[in-house]
Amino acid sequence: MRHLMIAAVLAAGFLSAGAARAAESWGLPDEEIVRFEAKVVDVLCELTGDCPAQCGAGKRQLGLLRDDGTLVLAVKNMAPFSGAVDELADFCAMRVVADGLFTTNRGYTIFALHFVKAVPDGKWRRANRFLSKWAERNGLDPKDKKVKRWFENDPQVKALIARDGKLGLGLEADRKFLEE
Amino acid sequence: MTGIRKCLLAGLVCVALGAGATVAQAAAGQRIKVTGEVIDSWCYLTEIMYPEGSAHHQCALWCAAGGIPVGILADDGTVYTVLKFEGDSTSNASPKVLEIQSHRVTVEGEVYARDGINYLLIDRVVDDRGIVKLTHDDYGIQPFGK
Repeated sequence: MRHLMIAAVLAAGFLSAGAARAAESWGLPDEEIVRFEAKVVDVLCELTGDCPAQCGAGKRQLGLLRDDGTLVLAVKNMAPFSGAVDELADFCAMRVVADGLFTTNRGYTIFALHFVKAVPDGKWRRANRFLSKWAERNGLDPKDKKVKRWFENDPQVKALIARDGKLGLGLEADRKFLEE
Repeated sequence: MTGIRKCLLAGLVCVALGAGATVAQAAAGQRIKVTGEVIDSWCYLTEIMYPEGSAHHQCALWCAAGGIPVGILADDGTVYTVLKFEGDSTSNASPKVLEIQSHRVTVEGEVYARDGINYLLIDRVVDDRGIVKLTHDDYGIQPFGK
């Protein structure tokens, strides 16, 4: 079951734009496909009143403040191993329609954003802008083949793995484990 | 509870404009000391793969670098979402937080509970034991095995 879920999530991330602008199931725990209107907010600002310009200009986690006052933490997007900040940053303090999945497990409900558009008549965006933003941050063309597997090519991650290994226990621990 | 709701409950007339609205919405956090493992909140809460310790370290780095909120799984099972780390309010792909990914840590800070999520603002790391949960012999390297 886990393998099917991973495959669904990864496949969703690798698919190109053009599919229907509505979330599809990823088979997550207690999953709910949802579409709702909300205001994009800087979560730390919302909680504490510490509010830099532009919701932190991409450096802070973003949330969706619903009309009933509920703050939804946007945890995931449609690209592999990445979050929702790059998807929502352009909409800071704006009302959007968010389309995606709620999943509830271990007592916590989090949200995966699949599509987003500005209210009232914005154009739907597939929530995979992370990939083009990552390419831009790393001086690559968005169509570069490194971009789809960004996680294996991210300089920060590569440096940490080169230092500490994939297991985080040192390079010798990696060598021994991978030889076995 | 939002500032507006608080005002209504108190029977007050609220004029919430600009920054004033933000201040009105802010609530006080509670001081807390937490011991647990630094985790990727998505993999842990969705259980799409084995999400803890050395087996999941590489994936946890990917997810943190990709901007998925980093959490701390406390010993009592509570999950905290990290929004601030030692004075730095960068919580999207924070290089400082990547340095402690998968580590067992004890931290002090403030927690804000809102709509079922525990948001943690870490003032300081009191103790860092590194990665102590050795799970790779049982679970391999998540999620691709390499």
